[in-house]
Amino acid sequence: MENVIELQHVTKSFKGFQVKDLSISVKKGFVTGFIGGNGAGKSTTIKLIMNLLKQDSGSISVFGLTHDTDERAIKERIGFVYDENIFYENLTLKDMKKIIRPAYKKWNDAMFHKYVDQFELPLGKKIKTFSKGMKMKASLAIALSHQAELIIMDEPTSGLDPVFRRELLNILHELMQDGDKTIFFSTHITTDLDRIADYIIFVNNGEHVFTKEFYKIQEDYAIVKGPLDLLDADTEREFVAVQKSNIGFEALTAYKDRVADLFGEAVVLEKPTLEDIMYYTEKGRCLNV
Amino acid sequence: MQILISNSSKEPIYEQITTQIKKQILTGDLQEGQALPSMRQLAKDLQISVITTKRAYEELEKNGFIYSIVGKGSFVSEQNTEMIKERKMKVIEEKLLEAIQNSRDMGIGLAELKEMLTLLYSEDE
Amino acid sequence: MFNLIWKDLFIQKKLILLYLAIIGLYFWLGTPLFWLAFITSISFIMNAFYYDEKDNINILLNSLPYTRKQIVTSKYIGAIIFTALFIGVIAGGSFIINGMESPFSWKGVLQTFGLVMAWISLIFPFFYKFKQQYLVIGGIIFFVIAMLSFKAVIHLLKERFGEVVQWFIGLSDLQLYSSASLVILLLYGGSWLLSMRIYERKVF
Repeated sequence: MENVIELQHVTKSFKGFQVKDLSISVKKGFVTGFIGGNGAGKSTTIKLIMNLLKQDSGSISVFGLTHDTDERAIKERIGFVYDENIFYENLTLKDMKKIIRPAYKKWNDAMFHKYVDQFELPLGKKIKTFSKGMKMKASLAIALSHQAELIIMDEPTSGLDPVFRRELLNILHELMQDGDKTIFFSTHITTDLDRIADYIIFVNNGEHVFTKEFYKIQEDYAIVKGPLDLLDADTEREFVAVQKSNIGFEALTAYKDRVADLFGEAVVLEKPTLEDIMYYTEKGRCLNV
Repeated sequence: MQILISNSSKEPIYEQITTQIKKQILTGDLQEGQALPSMRQLAKDLQISVITTKRAYEELEKNGFIYSIVGKGSFVSEQNTEMIKERKMKVIEEKLLEAIQNSRDMGIGLAELKEMLTLLYSEDE
Repeated sequence: MFNLIWKDLFIQKKLILLYLAIIGLYFWLGTPLFWLAFITSISFIMNAFYYDEKDNINILLNSLPYTRKQIVTSKYIGAIIFTALFIGVIAGGSFIINGMESPFSWKGVLQTFGLVMAWISLIFPFFYKFKQQYLVIGGIIFFVIAMLSFKAVIHLLKERFGEVVQWFIGLSDLQLYSSASLVILLLYGGSWLLSMRIYERKVF
């Protein structure tokens, strides 16, 4: 299957933070959710993909091209939505459109106005009067109006109310009807992913933890609950992290079937949420350091 | 085509889809050669990811229930009639077992149940 | 790339009246035309730069299909175009008010371009290197200097550097202007290359 985004052994260091040997890929025609806690390296990775940051080492390709030689061709085909405002606060959305429109060869004005109507955005009001959600919608309207093949979004749902979050998912579903489009977005509202994400890429502390099909996660991982006497140095190795209390333990395993065989009826296995997985992975890292 | 999925069910979503489509094929609600919605359309309608519907369709294809033509979509396969009969028999058996269980729960005897069956059977004709 | 130059004009469309008012005020004060053109051009160019920095516009521009070279180049070419525009407006205004009595001479035009380009050559690489707060400070300092210094600078030059000035005056106009033009063009080109190098390495 064709990869739209490919990072190979990418490293980027800042003061007190590092993206370490990151190798990830995003498949064409699918929605990939990008998860990880604060400071996990999500925004940094997105900035690296957009060439807002330059990697210290490793290679990054988008549509099989690199920014060194084809920066404009790549960006022509990307629609982007960021977590921060990137519009002139003192201009109206209409003015912003006038500035952005000539940058793209394939701008579609009718499409833009369709989304502006759908999102109920005021064209004539200054951006600084917009709420966070409206700014995000404005970004989204622009991102969807130049026939981009790849939509990259950094925390798009964080400023949105639940009603519009659902509406956004409908828009994304609509977009995915055409099998050539690819969506890559980071989020920490993991429930959004249940309805749309085909693949999940999970990073933690600047490192890649896994890339999996969404349904595969629940086949591999499980929350295990059981009595404390089952735990010893050997059995604890089956878990990402264990949380103990007076009445028993709760743990996350990445080897659901093996744990089921090992403990049998002595434990209860439950479907983990993405939040469970993020929580235990972070906890496990802290213990191992 | 009707499909209902439950997010809280223990059964994985792709399995819920395959089970329901299989059933509709076996009961004849979905006819041989009939087109299924595209997996992207189905994903949108069910508000689930494309990869889930993709997996469901792949399973159905593997088990010979449907076939895909590139660029055209997926269709219900010709079913082996013997096999279908066998399967249908199984469905009947299951339903009857269910009825028997219910009868026992309520203390209805075999004779009474038979009577009921005869009555319903002839009524339907 | 001309989209980017047009953008710098477009974002200041509401300030155009203000610029015209300033020009009118300075006419009234009798400021030399080349100096007036210099101040208004620089204000305009720096203000556009300030707006971009203030609102994260660099992230936007770098996510649109533009290269970093184009973004920097648009500022350097734009500066020349905007200076030409202001010279045009001021020359026109002067003609309407004074007729041909004290027109915007070709020397004045060259002086304005020279000053604008020299100023930009020195200041742009710093702007690209440092952050917004420095820009504001730089802008304020520029205004204070521009307001206070014109006569003082001339006076100082006459007092302290009499000999140098004498030597300059000894040159014919043609020699003086052509050598100064050459120096400034070299400076401008060098600054442009330097800014591109700085901007290419910038992180957002």
